[in-house]
Amino acid sequence: MKLIIGGYAQGKLNYVLKHYELENYVLLDGTLSEAAIEAGNTVILHCFHLWVKDGLKRGANPEEEIRKFVKEYPDCIIISDEVGNGIVPIDAFEREYRERTGRMLVELAEKAEEVVRVICGMGQKIK
Amino acid sequence: MMTLIIGGSGSGKSAYAEEYITRRAGNRQKYYLATMQVYGEEGRKKVERHRQLRSGKGFMTIEQPVDIEKAQTMMQDGEKAALLECMSNLVANEMFSRESPLHEEPVVEKIVQGVGELKESLAELVIVTNNVFEDGVQYEDTTMEYIRAMGTLNERLAAMADEVIEVVVGIPLCVKVRNGG
Repeated sequence: MKLIIGGYAQGKLNYVLKHYELENYVLLDGTLSEAAIEAGNTVILHCFHLWVKDGLKRGANPEEEIRKFVKEYPDCIIISDEVGNGIVPIDAFEREYRERTGRMLVELAEKAEEVVRVICGMGQKIK
Repeated sequence: MMTLIIGGSGSGKSAYAEEYITRRAGNRQKYYLATMQVYGEEGRKKVERHRQLRSGKGFMTIEQPVDIEKAQTMMQDGEKAALLECMSNLVANEMFSRESPLHEEPVVEKIVQGVGELKESLAELVIVTNNVFEDGVQYEDTTMEYIRAMGTLNERLAAMADEVIEVVVGIPLCVKVRNGG
């Protein structure tokens, strides 16, 4: 698994598509829906943070779901905004969302074979 | 020696800072300078989580929500190491916990002075600070002043520090390198 992080609109997806030169891939945009996945495709999970937010709104357990997903697709590429670099939100849900997204990213980074931070479309390999 | 560790919410900076100071402190007595004022259930949970992280690592906790230099008076003699966590709470407490808010400049000067005194009295001082700068939101004046105070303070502390480390998804990135490792 590879983890790609960075701020909003930094060219993370473009970086992935250019840098990894994937022949067959499926792009999951803010969803873990497996319907579109075919054998031999590299799974790109884009907007991981929005998927987390959606799950928390539904009362789901995104921590468990993503652990299962990574086990099922150990070669996937996960792309996420960094959402913790700001003022602590007044809204309790927003606070929880930031904290839990951050901690999940720490856990994913630990498991990842490669972590890249993208800024201005440029990737820095930090693991 | 002084080290500044910066990261966002949920970045893993606390866990890293605790591991870091434990490594740096060696056999010295370790203090945890807690700056957070606890309100409500969420605050209690946060404190409890941090206590769990620290438990068994030999920290003595000093609650110091304002006047950070006073923490020295609570410490024993001998060589010491301290982890100050975190700047965002200290700055908020200094600015907003008085009857009338203190402004950016006096708050920055007061904290720089206090940290300077602490640094002198300690073998190792590790300070955790927050990246509160990148959400792109234009807040009302008071919050913008707070953000500026944090920014100026981080600059000043980084200049004083021997080492500055940014923690991103739990991974330490060296921003300012300590001479001689």
